[in-house]
Amino acid sequence: MINRLRSLMRVIAGSFTMQAKERATNQFFVGTLFILPIIFTLLSVGTYLYGGKGNFGLFAVIGAGMMGVWNTNLWTSGRIVEGERRGGTLSMLIASPTPFPIILVGKSLSNAFASLISLVVTFATGLIAFRLELDIANPVAFIISLLLTLISMTCFGLVLGSAFVLTRNAGDFMEAANYPIFILSGLMFPLTILPTWLKPLSSILAPTWGNLALGASAGLIADNPWVIDLYLIGLSLAYLLIARVLFKQVEFLVRRDGSMEVF
Amino acid sequence: MTAIKIVNLGRNFTTTTGTIRRTRKDITALEDVNLDIEPGELFGLLGPNGAGKTTLTRILSTVLLPSSGRAEVLGMDVVKHTKQLRPRIGMVFGGERGLYWRLSGRDNIQYFADLYLVPPEVSRKRIPELLELVGLTDRADERVEGYSRGMKQKLHIARGLINDPDVLFLDEPTIGLDPIAARELRTVILEMHKRGKTIFLTSHYMYEVDELCQRVAVVNKGKIALIDTPSAFKKMVANLEVVEIECREAHPEALSRLRAHPRVESVTMENREGAQALQIQAPGGVESIPEFLRILEGSQVQKVITRQPTLEDAYVKLLGKEALNS
Repeated sequence: MINRLRSLMRVIAGSFTMQAKERATNQFFVGTLFILPIIFTLLSVGTYLYGGKGNFGLFAVIGAGMMGVWNTNLWTSGRIVEGERRGGTLSMLIASPTPFPIILVGKSLSNAFASLISLVVTFATGLIAFRLELDIANPVAFIISLLLTLISMTCFGLVLGSAFVLTRNAGDFMEAANYPIFILSGLMFPLTILPTWLKPLSSILAPTWGNLALGASAGLIADNPWVIDLYLIGLSLAYLLIARVLFKQVEFLVRRDGSMEVF
Repeated sequence: MTAIKIVNLGRNFTTTTGTIRRTRKDITALEDVNLDIEPGELFGLLGPNGAGKTTLTRILSTVLLPSSGRAEVLGMDVVKHTKQLRPRIGMVFGGERGLYWRLSGRDNIQYFADLYLVPPEVSRKRIPELLELVGLTDRADERVEGYSRGMKQKLHIARGLINDPDVLFLDEPTIGLDPIAARELRTVILEMHKRGKTIFLTSHYMYEVDELCQRVAVVNKGKIALIDTPSAFKKMVANLEVVEIECREAHPEALSRLRAHPRVESVTMENREGAQALQIQAPGGVESIPEFLRILEGSQVQKVITRQPTLEDAYVKLLGKEALNS
């Protein structure tokens, strides 16, 4: 049991490193890591300031930061599956003794950690371009909320990544989903302006709760950040369970249809 | 226990045609395949393109599910026991895909060592050994994108051996390689066989199967047409002689007359650098050469040679014209 666990940890570490090495050679990715967060921050904070809502600056920076995290982490997860399929390695990964979701954990975690860079760029842009005062009310809760957000988004990436094995257009789906996710998760506008019927959908998305947890620990909203953190943990566990069940079915379907190598 | 056992195996694919009105069509890739392969055997599967070789390899290596029948590798069902089976098999699919081009050769093998749960103390020793075996030690730390096709294929083999598999599936491993690279790769395959691996090799190069394999199966249109040793296979054409005639311009009418000749069993033609090489299979072919040349009058014959039949001739005899299209 312990040996098996060690082996799986090695797979996660191996996938983490491998993803980091591949990413480092991708100039487009490096560009998006630094440039996109600046654009998101300028757009987001600028919109609030222009609208005369100067006190929303920190809210906008956190939202923009989360957009960067989403972009680096989950959007890239879609591209990972598509890239593996195009490169002919998807069938090799799925036919290896390691369950595919474990491989995805390593790759997604690697992207999650890279996304911290985009968060730092976002905060730096807020500080430098808008001279915002980024006072965090509860720094400890903020850091823990940030880590839990990254973990939760990674687990959400596993659900999406498992489902993406079924399609040859994973990257396109993620691209199309970008702005709907930003809006549904309250990253661009406050959740309160969403119609009621959309709120259940918002409540199952990791970025929604990550954004709320960060907002609460920064003192922007009155909620208790620790309670939201607990919700993030529960959501992560639910994602893991769904990914496990989903991938079994997905593996059966791709082996039945012979679609692993079609691109 | 047999290394590979296949019983009444079948596999269908569904394709669709049309954009608005879609029509679904079932295509049979494999039908009623039966095969037993012994441990330590180097077994070859021959067949033209689309015969079902790759489909069978993918089913045995747990990438695809069969539509009917069953297959066992090392006594384990390829559908139900994938968890136990996957660590004990290796697969090498031909072509340039299936590698991480932006990583080095060593990184590629290391990553698959992790995925195959090879303990670090073992992989530290095994990776340099495998790189040495396939002759990539000097280039191991360069990115794969700079490798030649032959080097990529060698890397595929090294990667397929990282878990020290009991059974290795090689799907057209020498396809597209130059003769020297292909010969080097065949040496590696023989070395693996010497080490006791059961090897399942698909190819449509007859000489390759003749040189490497202990037994060979010919698959055509999803069905096994024959299973035997290469020498028994060649005996099918033992009474034949093969006359090769190279000419500049073989008229279709002359070819039809050659094929209709009472002594001729088959005539195949291939283009060679502006010339056409006719391979005429016929018992007592030498005595018939003057008649063949009369038929080919006006075809600018350049060269005539006779030779003993090869496995390729047996293959042509067995599959007829379809083999020529492969």
